[in-house]
Amino acid sequence: MTWQTIAKRDIDLTFGARSGKLLLGLTVLSILLAGYIYPVIGTKPITTARFGGFVTGWLTTLLPFVGVLLGYGAVVNERESGALRLSLSLPNSRLDVLLGKFCSRAGLLTAAVLVSLSGAGALVVYPFGELVISRFLAFTLLTVLFGTVWCGLGLATSLIVATRRRALVLSFGLVFVFVVVWDAIKTALRVGLNAAGIVDGALPGPAQFLLGLEPGHVFQRVVSGLVTGGGMADGPWYLNEWVAFALLMLWSVGPLGLAYVAFARSDVS
Amino acid sequence: MAAIDASTVSKRYQTEIALNGVDFTVEEGETFGFLGPNGAGKSTFINMLLDFAKPTDGTVSIFGHDCQQAGVAARERIGVLPEGYSVFNRLTGRQHIEYAIRSKEADDDPIEVLNRVGIRDDADRKASDYSKGMAQRLVLGMALVGEPDLLILDEPSTGLDPNGAAQMREILREENERGATVFFSSHILEQVEAVCDRVGILQDGELVAIDTIGGLRSSLGGETKLVITVSKLVDGTLDAIRAVDGVETAVTAGDQTIEVTCINDAKMDILIELRSLDVEVVNFRTDEASLEDMFIEYTGA
Repeated sequence: MTWQTIAKRDIDLTFGARSGKLLLGLTVLSILLAGYIYPVIGTKPITTARFGGFVTGWLTTLLPFVGVLLGYGAVVNERESGALRLSLSLPNSRLDVLLGKFCSRAGLLTAAVLVSLSGAGALVVYPFGELVISRFLAFTLLTVLFGTVWCGLGLATSLIVATRRRALVLSFGLVFVFVVVWDAIKTALRVGLNAAGIVDGALPGPAQFLLGLEPGHVFQRVVSGLVTGGGMADGPWYLNEWVAFALLMLWSVGPLGLAYVAFARSDVS
Repeated sequence: MAAIDASTVSKRYQTEIALNGVDFTVEEGETFGFLGPNGAGKSTFINMLLDFAKPTDGTVSIFGHDCQQAGVAARERIGVLPEGYSVFNRLTGRQHIEYAIRSKEADDDPIEVLNRVGIRDDADRKASDYSKGMAQRLVLGMALVGEPDLLILDEPSTGLDPNGAAQMREILREENERGATVFFSSHILEQVEAVCDRVGILQDGELVAIDTIGGLRSSLGGETKLVITVSKLVDGTLDAIRAVDGVETAVTAGDQTIEVTCINDAKMDILIELRSLDVEVVNFRTDEASLEDMFIEYTGA
């Protein structure tokens, strides 16, 4: 297995590029900023556990953009230029390429999340806050997982198309549908069905489940269930946080797996 | 074991057949030239060796490893100069060689490799600033890493000046002497003629000939044309030449020139015959059927 070699080279190149540094730097800065603001405008008690709830909404917007931007060019850039042909004429498999790129890009994002959340945690605790270590650790891990999901989605688009442009359009299409308009669709559906008299109040469980499949909603369900506590206590079992956690895991590997199958079958010429 | 074994391999795209039942082997230790006009399917074949493309029918293998089912094992002991590649943005020449060394788990010295392909002084420049010829040298260097048992080169002299092409040939010869099998495609025939033990000629996706250059020559008649310039023609000279064993035709071309077609061995006999007739030979040259002639003959270009 030579994926480590590919990962190492890719980390050097991504972190060496100005765009890579900028993207990761902005991520770190904005999460730190949230850690600075929360004790100022948040309601008491100020704890690292409740900070999770405060920052989740922001993360569900930020991480999709950053993850997709980190991932979408990973393979297709080299495919379009022809450098992929050099990698694949060496004893590297296409799985090596995928693993190397995934570990590099998701690894860099993970590092940025870890650094910035530790910093933000410190800002929350000092001077007025309270450290709830286990819940904050859980929140950090979930955030890493959520970032990985979006990095993986970006990488998946990189694997299945032949040009950088298409990968960009496809991955931003995903961000647009999942992050920008998903809530609007959800609301429109509820209002519409209510107006038509089909449902009364909240949507039925199965519909909530389907509309809640979007990664950001899944992430928020897990965070509110496992970190901030409460929120989704009632309702059918398939809306609980553990199912949501399983869904989040699925999001992190499922799309990549499917994209890999297509990538392994395609011609690189 | 065959270095390359292609068994009735075909590649079809929706509307065209890129390769049709190509079937041949390249033996260990030989230098094999893969010839054909542009679009004949040479690169398609090499793409399948590297698993960039998958055959529609048939199989290809390298040292017994199926190129599709066991691609990594097939590529473990080879060095490749593919076509249509580009170097990595922002990596230096040295880093490219180091990448090849790590991927092949070899222990070459990057500077030695760069020195061998003649770009040592540019080791620490970004490879994306290299000229086409330098990039070609760099990727040849990556191919040479780890003393491969088989070199696969797709149009290796692309972008090289005549000097560079000669160095490339020299390196291929050295590698072959070391024991490596060399397989390369080209449409530049002198190169193939200069280094190859055997050639295969591909046309419209089919292998139309596969033989040694000598073999191809003799299967096309095997004649040599001798052009002799004499001080002056005397009567009976042509008849005397025609009487020599192995001579097929003898005609005059101008006042002082005789053109003779004959088997190779008859050349000296003809000159001796002229001398015995007291005809002074001012000049003579032989026109062997060049690979280019044979190529045109085979592909009907």
